[in-house]
Amino acid sequence: MDASIIIQIALGGILLGGLYAMVAFGLSLIYGVARILNFAHGTLLAVGGVAASAIFTATAWNPLLIMALLVPVLGLFGYVFYDKLLQPLTKRSHFEYTVGSVLVTVGALLILSDVAAWIAGPAPRNIPLRFEAMEFGDVIVSTTQAWILGGIIVFTIVLHFYIKKSWFGRAMRAVTQDHTGATICGVQADRVHALTFAFGSGIVAIAAVLYTMLFPVDPYMGFSLTVKAFTIIILGGIGNLVGALIAGIFLGLAEGFTSFFWATQWAPAISIVLLLVILVIFPQGFGWRKSK
Amino acid sequence: MKYTIGLFALGTAALAATSLITPAHATVGSCTEPVTFGTTISSTGRYSTLADKWRNMTIEFAKMINENGGVNLKGCGKKLPLKIIIYDDQSVPSTAVSLFERMATVDKVDFFVGPDWSAMGFPVPPVAEKHKIPMVMANVAAPPIFKRGLKYMWGTPMPTVPNWSTRYFDMMSKQTPRPKTIYFITQDNPVTKALTGFWSKKAASLGYKVLGNELFSVELKDFTSLVLKLRIRKPDIIYISSFDSPSVPLIQQMRRLKTKAKDVHHALLSGKLHKQVGNDLEGVTGEIPWYPGVKGPYSDFTEELVKRANVDMFEYPWTMSRISAYLIMVQAVERAGTVDREKVRAALFKGTFDSPTGQIEFNENGYAHKNGAFTLQVQNGKPVIVWPPEIATGKFVYPSPSWQ
Amino acid sequence: MSNYRYWLGGAFVLAALALIPTSGSAYTTTLLFTMLISYTLAQSWDWVGGEAGYINLAHFAFYGIGAYAFCLSLLNGIPIALCFVIAVVVTSIVALVVSFPLFRLRGDYFAFATLAILPLTELLAFNFDFTGGADGVVLPPKYVLFEAYYLAIGLVGLTAIATVWLIRTRFGYALKAIRNDEEAAEICGIRIFPAKSGVLIMSAGFASLAGALQGWQLSYIDPTTVFGLDVALIPIAMALLGGSGLLWGAVVGVIILSLFNQLLIVSLPILQTAIFGLLLLLIGRYMPGGLLRSGIIRNNRWIGFLGREHDRFVKATAGVTMTDGLPLPKQSDMKGQPVLECRNLTMAFGGNVAVDNISLTINAGEIVGLVGTNGSGKTTLFNCISKVFEQKSGDIIFLGQNLAGARRDDASKLGIGRTFQIPQPFSDLTVAENIAMPLMYRGAVSASLPDALGLATQFAEYVGLTDHLSARADSLNLQQKKALELARALACRPRLLLVDEVASGLTPMEVRNFVNHIRELRDNYGITIIWVEHIFSALAQVVDRVIVMEQGSIIADGPLDDVVRDERVLRTYLGSAAPEAV
Repeated sequence: MDASIIIQIALGGILLGGLYAMVAFGLSLIYGVARILNFAHGTLLAVGGVAASAIFTATAWNPLLIMALLVPVLGLFGYVFYDKLLQPLTKRSHFEYTVGSVLVTVGALLILSDVAAWIAGPAPRNIPLRFEAMEFGDVIVSTTQAWILGGIIVFTIVLHFYIKKSWFGRAMRAVTQDHTGATICGVQADRVHALTFAFGSGIVAIAAVLYTMLFPVDPYMGFSLTVKAFTIIILGGIGNLVGALIAGIFLGLAEGFTSFFWATQWAPAISIVLLLVILVIFPQGFGWRKSK
Repeated sequence: MKYTIGLFALGTAALAATSLITPAHATVGSCTEPVTFGTTISSTGRYSTLADKWRNMTIEFAKMINENGGVNLKGCGKKLPLKIIIYDDQSVPSTAVSLFERMATVDKVDFFVGPDWSAMGFPVPPVAEKHKIPMVMANVAAPPIFKRGLKYMWGTPMPTVPNWSTRYFDMMSKQTPRPKTIYFITQDNPVTKALTGFWSKKAASLGYKVLGNELFSVELKDFTSLVLKLRIRKPDIIYISSFDSPSVPLIQQMRRLKTKAKDVHHALLSGKLHKQVGNDLEGVTGEIPWYPGVKGPYSDFTEELVKRANVDMFEYPWTMSRISAYLIMVQAVERAGTVDREKVRAALFKGTFDSPTGQIEFNENGYAHKNGAFTLQVQNGKPVIVWPPEIATGKFVYPSPSWQ
Repeated sequence: MSNYRYWLGGAFVLAALALIPTSGSAYTTTLLFTMLISYTLAQSWDWVGGEAGYINLAHFAFYGIGAYAFCLSLLNGIPIALCFVIAVVVTSIVALVVSFPLFRLRGDYFAFATLAILPLTELLAFNFDFTGGADGVVLPPKYVLFEAYYLAIGLVGLTAIATVWLIRTRFGYALKAIRNDEEAAEICGIRIFPAKSGVLIMSAGFASLAGALQGWQLSYIDPTTVFGLDVALIPIAMALLGGSGLLWGAVVGVIILSLFNQLLIVSLPILQTAIFGLLLLLIGRYMPGGLLRSGIIRNNRWIGFLGREHDRFVKATAGVTMTDGLPLPKQSDMKGQPVLECRNLTMAFGGNVAVDNISLTINAGEIVGLVGTNGSGKTTLFNCISKVFEQKSGDIIFLGQNLAGARRDDASKLGIGRTFQIPQPFSDLTVAENIAMPLMYRGAVSASLPDALGLATQFAEYVGLTDHLSARADSLNLQQKKALELARALACRPRLLLVDEVASGLTPMEVRNFVNHIRELRDNYGITIIWVEHIFSALAQVVDRVIVMEQGSIIADGPLDDVVRDERVLRTYLGSAAPEAV
């Protein structure tokens, strides 16, 4: 087997995995603090992608500019969504919180996709921006891919350190680990929750633009992204961004090699099978997470 | 006691709600009331990406027929207006079934047109059969649908699997150097699989060497492995049998990874694909059932219709199948001369009808078995019809320079 | 007894439904058919979700597997009745197999993992040859709406009966215990894995029948129709919207959402889904326990009964008093013989040795105080004896039986009862139900639910909770919770009772009361007791001897008076201050 082929497949897998990890980041942080099954997460991303594509079609702006526009918009959406719809539920019993949040997020999923399809049309769309390819022997890397992959890695590192070092990041981690404890220590849990929701939704905007540059999005595809994101979170650990990146890349590579050495139609199945196998062996996740 | 009364109240509320969505009935088959068609369209949900403009188009269709006086009924000695009842089936088969039951028993429509997709093309026709209402379905291309022995069901699918790529292979056989090898890439979908299933056998019998046959799921995003297989096998023709959205990353990644071929054929090419992959589509060949400018019966009517409904036929090529279904039902009712379901059924049986795509001929199974397609190629960012030569608007460029 | 009214009411509703095809239109029939299928799905989901507390997002996969198993069998010429059986059997086997990995997970992790199963089954259906791949399974185009409809009525009847059965049986209560606290459930003698796996299989079986009927009616299935993510959440939303865990929850949720959705579809050309979603969102926001738990419904005279919690449906058997005092068995007199022996018992968490090579013997009829500083290993020792933890090495011999490898429910059934230092009641159950739980789960002497609830009153009376019998456990204060802990542990009918810090925080009066209880338990019922306590004065009133632990080892063992004079005990237990004080 030619080494260049292996490298080429690995590159594709890493890129896809990195992108999936980006999709999972926001959900991971949000789940970490709010502990809800946010079914609307992927749909928010899909709708963000549709918006990004619509803006690009209308203005031909640089995707970075579109990102800069969408991050505060989705961030604000996340804040209001949590503050008005989910935060009041935290005052209720655990059971009511769980049920209420499921109903609210499933409702939000349906509303988001239907309204987006109504406004922008249900047709799949993307950001058709193309850069030239670079060749290293037989291995070809497109500049788009290189930019996106580089962006994901830099973003993960920056985010990782931001969460480690900044006041907000530490507050967020504190709340993730121990709600009551953090509140006693003077962290305003409600505010941190809402801000995390905003922060996570902002990350969704970045992921949406990157995703839309590579693959088509449509308003109805969101839930399968949510499923992907949850898969990655289980493997990578809640609130663990580096873990999510590694898990995403692991799954991306698994899909790529399954497709090449076995059959293309089995590629998407492999990540789910791997997930179940890993859960049987490590019920606590993939090991990056500290056992409680 | 409270329990019984409560239960009674609940039951009454449920019944009241049911009756709320069950309006009064109309009468069937008079010479005074409009001719009523009933249809469902997947305006929302997973299939809506292909169908979102059809509701509007259907309304415009009825309007245009009525502007010409309506449906001409000899039996009544006059023209009756056409009314089309449209529901959104939300892309859910069981919803479609209950809506067709509704149209049969509550709205009392005279005839059914639509629906689309195999997922509905199987479960809905037994409803028509039960109520003895003739139906002409639109985009239901899976051949087994027409082998179930149903007597009230017709369909005008585009693509019609055994005819779809006929002109394309005819064109390729006349090129020099003659392509010798072919590689099939197929989306995992009943229609696209049926296309590949038919044409991979046919290609072999036409003397091509089939180098590979790869199936991919709609979920697949990273096609690197598949494209590498293409690079290793070096086929002359790459035949992609896929709807537009799943193959966007495929086309892009084929370009990125410098795939070479004499011709890349995307059997279900559409303007939506073109919008998303842009220049990457340059030189790719495809097929389309009809395009404004192609002359035939009702072609002026259809051109006007798609203009009014704001449908770009290159972006929504499957609209033609819908329009054909409507046109055929109108013609069948006019031939029967009365709003009598049995007479219309007789008119439809093995009938031949006019459509801008040419004559549509039903076989005994209700299958429009002669529907073909024109071959086109994207040249300078525009779709150009390149085959058959008598209606071609441009010349086929071969071998495709952009894939060298 | 008012049972007959339910049966009458249920039979009346089903009979009315059965008349619809002859009197109403085919449209009404399809609509109701869809609702019957939805009810079966929503209700069977709620057995796992609402009763056992596991959010199973793979429920729709069972529906799809049932549909496939049925349609494929039917296509192969198998008689139709047998096809339904095959659908149930195949799906149950799948449920059994997946329950092994899935139930290793708890809480949201379970939900995440089940979420991934649906896309997997969809892909398998696409990729296998025997499923027909993307082409799906095509049945002969027979119009079977009415046959399917009558069968669906039967299925709904069965589903309703199963739901009522779950309310009134100990299996249902096992699920409620699991929902609240799996550890405490096991301590009450419930084997949790078979219960969890059992309810998953039961729920999967009903879902598979729903799938089979739907597949039969549609005469065609393909992977996206029966495994599609886009519709999978709706039955769950229906159960939650009505009121998860309530008898009427799924019924009301299905009726409201199905009719609302149909109304939107036939009356609006656009945005039906958005409005449908808005309803879910608003109910979730303002009535998060479900529609039926809201005040509007519950306080209504006429429909308030819809919102009744399960405990209102079961009545305690009155006057089951068998003895004066507690209904505990007379224990054979084996005074002086060893009840519990620990030999070289060691327990470690990672490198941290919590119990270090302990050997001790407890004789029948003894009351032993177990003391030691925080972190000295007392609770860990308890946890080892009650099998909350499996020891790392050494043996625990209880009444001559080695407990190596035994489960928590085994320990409970053998006669080890315990309380938790931090009370772990079944929060959303009543005091009576809490106490009744172990009474239903003691092997040969287990009581039926009404009897258990009747007996529970006596235990409640004994610990002073008579006034709170029908109060939810989470509404009690800490002292009451501790009393409940004791009552529940006694209801396990233990021969050895492990009491973990029950007296701390009680008033002197209450402590005296409690001490009397302990003495009485030994004197009247022959229960051997180990009591972990910090309050020496309390221990002093009742214990025969005291065992002192420090850093996982026993440093003293003997009568209280001797032990308090022991140098090592004074130094370590009373801290460094003690020698200075001398």
